[in-house]
Amino acid sequence: MKLKEIDRTAMQAWSPAQQHPIYLATGTSAQQLDATFSTSASLEIFELDLSDPSLDMKSCATFSSSCRYHKLIWGPHSMTSGETVSGVLIAGGENGNVILYDPAKIITGDTEVIIAQKDKHTGPVRALDVNMFQTNLVASGANESEIYIWDLNNFATPMTPGVKTQPLEDISCIAWNRQVQHILASASPSGRATVWDLRKNEPIIKVSDHNNRMHCSGLAWHPDVATQMVLASEDDRLPVIQMWDLRFASSPLRVLESHTRGILAIAWSMVDSELLLSCGKDAKILCSNPNTGEVLYELPTNTQWCFDIQWCPRNPAVLSAASFDGRISVYSIMGGSTDGLRQKQVDQLSSSFGNLDPFGMGQPLPPLQLPQQTGPQCIILPLKKPPKWIRRPVGASFSFGGKLVTFENSKSQQQPGIEQQQQRHHVYLSQVVTEEEFLARSNQLQEAVQSEGFVSYCQKKIDMAPADFEKNVWAFLKVHFEEDSRVKYLDLLGYRKDDLRKKRVKDHTQETEDLGSAKKTFNISVSGDVDGLITQALLTGNFESAVDLCLHDNRMADAIILAIAGGQELLSRTQEKYFAKMQSKITRLITAVVKKNWKEIVQSCDLQNWREALAAVLTYARPDEFAALCDRLGNRLESEGDSLLQTQACLCYICAGNVEKLVACWTKAQDGNSPLSLQDLIEKVVILRKAVQITQDVDPNAVGALLAEKMSQYASLLAAQGSIAAALTFLPVNTNQPNITLLRDRLCRAQGELPVGQEALKAPYERQPMPKGQAGPVVGQMQGPQAPAQQYYQQGDNPPPPGFIMPGAVNSNMPPQQATSSNYSMYSQAGTRPAYPQRPQNGWNDPPALNRAAKKKVPDNFLPPVPITSPIMNPLADPQSQIQQPPAPAAPLGAPSFQPLHLPAGQPVLQSGYPPASQPLGPCVVPPTVSKPSTEGAPGAPIGNAIQHVQALPTEKITKKPIPEEHLILKTTFEALIQRCLLSASDPQTKRKLDDANKRLEFLYDKLREQTLSPTIISGLHNIVKSIEMRNYQEGLNIHTHIVSTSNFSETSAFMPVLKVVLTQANKLGV
Amino acid sequence: QVSVINTVDTSHEDMIHDAQMDYYGTRLATCSSDRSVKIFDVRNGGQILIADLRGHEGPVWQVAWAHPMYGNILASCSYDRKVIIWKEENGTWEKTYEYTGHDSSVNSVCWAPHDYGLILACGSSDGAISLLSYTGDGQWEVKKISNAHTIGCNAVSWAPAVVPGSLIEQPSGQKPNYIKRFASGGCDNLVKIWKEEDGQWKEEQKLEAHSDWVRDVAWAPSIGLPTSTIASCSQDGRVFIWTCDDASGNSWSPKLLHKFNDVVWHVSWSITANILAVSGGDNKVTLWKESVDGLWACISDVNKGQGGVSAITEGQQNEQ
Repeated sequence: MKLKEIDRTAMQAWSPAQQHPIYLATGTSAQQLDATFSTSASLEIFELDLSDPSLDMKSCATFSSSCRYHKLIWGPHSMTSGETVSGVLIAGGENGNVILYDPAKIITGDTEVIIAQKDKHTGPVRALDVNMFQTNLVASGANESEIYIWDLNNFATPMTPGVKTQPLEDISCIAWNRQVQHILASASPSGRATVWDLRKNEPIIKVSDHNNRMHCSGLAWHPDVATQMVLASEDDRLPVIQMWDLRFASSPLRVLESHTRGILAIAWSMVDSELLLSCGKDAKILCSNPNTGEVLYELPTNTQWCFDIQWCPRNPAVLSAASFDGRISVYSIMGGSTDGLRQKQVDQLSSSFGNLDPFGMGQPLPPLQLPQQTGPQCIILPLKKPPKWIRRPVGASFSFGGKLVTFENSKSQQQPGIEQQQQRHHVYLSQVVTEEEFLARSNQLQEAVQSEGFVSYCQKKIDMAPADFEKNVWAFLKVHFEEDSRVKYLDLLGYRKDDLRKKRVKDHTQETEDLGSAKKTFNISVSGDVDGLITQALLTGNFESAVDLCLHDNRMADAIILAIAGGQELLSRTQEKYFAKMQSKITRLITAVVKKNWKEIVQSCDLQNWREALAAVLTYARPDEFAALCDRLGNRLESEGDSLLQTQACLCYICAGNVEKLVACWTKAQDGNSPLSLQDLIEKVVILRKAVQITQDVDPNAVGALLAEKMSQYASLLAAQGSIAAALTFLPVNTNQPNITLLRDRLCRAQGELPVGQEALKAPYERQPMPKGQAGPVVGQMQGPQAPAQQYYQQGDNPPPPGFIMPGAVNSNMPPQQATSSNYSMYSQAGTRPAYPQRPQNGWNDPPALNRAAKKKVPDNFLPPVPITSPIMNPLADPQSQIQQPPAPAAPLGAPSFQPLHLPAGQPVLQSGYPPASQPLGPCVVPPTVSKPSTEGAPGAPIGNAIQHVQALPTEKITKKPIPEEHLILKTTFEALIQRCLLSASDPQTKRKLDDANKRLEFLYDKLREQTLSPTIISGLHNIVKSIEMRNYQEGLNIHTHIVSTSNFSETSAFMPVLKVVLTQANKLGV
Repeated sequence: QVSVINTVDTSHEDMIHDAQMDYYGTRLATCSSDRSVKIFDVRNGGQILIADLRGHEGPVWQVAWAHPMYGNILASCSYDRKVIIWKEENGTWEKTYEYTGHDSSVNSVCWAPHDYGLILACGSSDGAISLLSYTGDGQWEVKKISNAHTIGCNAVSWAPAVVPGSLIEQPSGQKPNYIKRFASGGCDNLVKIWKEEDGQWKEEQKLEAHSDWVRDVAWAPSIGLPTSTIASCSQDGRVFIWTCDDASGNSWSPKLLHKFNDVVWHVSWSITANILAVSGGDNKVTLWKESVDGLWACISDVNKGQGGVSAITEGQQNEQ
């Protein structure tokens, strides 16, 4: 394909390979006159700009020369790399002169462009060549067998290669060997070629065809083989190219007879030794393989002869040819269309005719419609043989799982015909691991999880932690796995019960002494002063007045002591007043302690005191509000605190066991996406999740969006390091994020877990097959480019639980559309599952009031059974839920996928590493006998949004044992009594009181569950129950007083006052 | 760091020009100057020849796997000016489509992100780039960019599917409005970025830095960051990393990764886009990683034959 054109009758020289951009120098030819018969001469430099689609070549400089040229070459001598023009232009002139030009100066327009010139030769200098190894050496040839070797560094005195050959004749070609630097060849029109050894300074071999009809117009050494060269003949009677091997110099090795008339010039590609260009008087430009004689390419040319042809050294696909019609054309041998050429002609036309209205008719010419199909002749085919420079010898490509595919082809193989058969063509698959520390740590984490050695893992982390904060975090995490966690947390916050006791020992002894001295007689004064008034009030049993008086007189202690005697109501009122009055620093703390209002502390404490607030919460908060309080504190730290406090929020979240918040908080505090910082986070998260699963019995698979993102990032990283199995274990199990589902599928398949054969080949993606001629839905979906993607994501938006994503056997037999729906239906069936285990709550015999709470809690134990459960995420995979799965055969469509058969092979094994027996399941988990497979949950049953509902539930502490049966009567009786009272109570205040009492009695039930109450109290309570059954509330109150007076206050304080309120009300209301 | 886990004897009778793993990394496709394309199952260190695909009449330069959501599909391109799309049907591989619209060697094929549908970009020595889109029912629609790179396009590589505005994640349910882009490199020493506007492909950017043929371009996978990255390598031995931070995609800046002593033929990003494998520079494969301060360092030098790897020493690096 023709790329460029210059309208010159000139010799041409490409800039050396090092030169960028590429230039073409032209010097007016001495042998041919151009059409104008002008005798002026010039040296011009053009730039080859391939990004410009036009056929014009950009002229950079023109130098008007005093002589015309027979030969022009551009040597790389003293070239500097970079963008500047350099090297030396060497010209052979008409009068035996050799001229050196500086191309840089020509381009800058300098007038002194000649570096040096010598006219040592006789007659025109037709042959020039630069030595490739020593670029300062230039050989020149002219008439009278003259050959000179010029040293550009010492241009004054040329050398000769030896004694002139006899008879004297013109030297038409000269060429340095391309392998051996001191070998030079020359040839003359007589057909004789001489090879010179410059070390010996004599000709070493003469090559000559016996028939003597060779008329040498071209000579070229083999680029790769030192002993071979070609000679081209200009004689029309023998238009051949002879390939000679100097080892067998008696006759040519091969004769190429592709031209029909004399050959005018040849050029052998330096890059690919199988490409030899030749042009002749038959007006052809051919590219042949001189090693085989095959013609690989015929350039489409006009009918003119070309007298000079050159490969571009830098761009191996480009060549230039100078023709007698006064034109230099630049071609690519890679084929292509000739649109560009035609465009140029059109442009020329329109420029010649002026603007589109050439005839001034006020009417522009209609735009020329170029024929789009001009037939095959306008398409120029490339070389028959791919040139060496486009044959990629080496490659390395990454693939999934950090694998690298590499191949290489050894250099020797690129030489033609050498040991091709022996060559083994291997492709190597390598595992690339770049994050070794990351992998090591990840392995440690997995080991810890697998062996359940959490405490020692945490301890190791504590020991290794470089920073205090990190140490702290791990210490907090560790506590989760230890007994008595709250005390340990306090410990970590710097509060020890024992310490305080020790501090107090001294004061205490002092106090007892004081008490002892107080035991004396005293008189009861009823005087008019405050003392007296109080005495009077006391004597009349009017506690309220007495307390009031005390408060007035600022006798706080007295007031409170009296209020205690005056009953709960008075006490709380007194406390109110006390707090209102007192404004000391710790009042608010005391207030909170007394009122159990931890929210207040958490919400309004100074953030600098977050440790203290957390300590208070740890000490006092009830299990059910503990997590929420920790969260709240964490939230405040995060939103209000400075950067330091923000990170501390992590500790609160750890106490709370709030994984999602921890992730958010940690991510905010940490910068960067480096694998190790992600590892830092994941270690904590995984450990905390384990802890939460053990202590709080939450759904082990529930994963929030942020955590899911982090986990999948982590899994991707692991996968990228080749740990595909590990990546699978960390990938969240039940998330509906499409990218996670896809990653899981990819990981599974990368592990080769699917059976080989048909099933394996049916990807879950295969919703969009492109079979030939399949009509119907597929076609419709493929119509817009967006359609497949949509379909794909739809699928992803509601993905089946990961376990269902590869039911190969199911899908393979179905048309794609059905396969999709079958996935959906499977999903639906899975969704029904969580619904039925709620039944067992009926077996609890709990009073209705508690029923709601129970409902909330139970499902958590029965969260969706997920067929593929990774050991990390689902160590608590309830054995129950798996037992509960209804037998598959009954189920239609999707049921088979529940069979373990379809699980990836590795999974069941992993799971069995966690024998159900060792699972720390809470006792309140309903034993399997209670929850037999029920038809209620069978596949196909109507379902709502069961999964979403259950998952949306907040996680909370729910480890509650049942109340021993013999004591259940206490609960039922008390609750029944409260209900009765509520029914007959009229004023809202009483109702509120009763409601409150109902709630507070929960403390009693808790103690019953834990069986921590002493037998005397228990029997006392049973007595109260009996009296309630007989509706003798007064009797009940008496028993109550007895219990209170005989038992440890701390043991009963949580519920006895409430019970008293209830009994009193019952008595009052007479229910 | 790099260890050979499987050596596959392809039994190709001539030079191998490309080897690509499928989406899952379980199957290997190779192509060769012997005009064949071969597919191997390489799971668990095995090497089972699944298919030996004949159909090209010249050396096969590149192979490319389509995303598995479309089935098992492989594209190959050859010096014979053809692009062939092969598909596995009932366990056997067959030619499903042959594209003959180029006038010269087809040097590169690359499938678009699966989100766009089944679209293949092909770069040819005739200077044109073709885009083949599957329209269903065995039909392919062809769009051609003529004279994309004068005297030849050597490589094409698609940009990851990213929705403008929300580079991290697009809201589900909404119809994603992708901007389709790809990069190409050619014999005009340029890397070009093409963008589809109203169904037409337009040259959006022309990246100039190389001083010789661009041998390969590789658009880095998206890892959720707003930066786009392209690696390009060239006949001139240079490897450039181009980055563009602005969403409009207009300001690309090059950074020289390294100047090798020889042609660099191929660049390939790891899936996580943090490692670049560079092939060439005297038939070697080197792995490069960007450090925190933005400098690229060679992290290893893959010696395939020995199965071992030698970390490049400081001295060796300087030599290069």
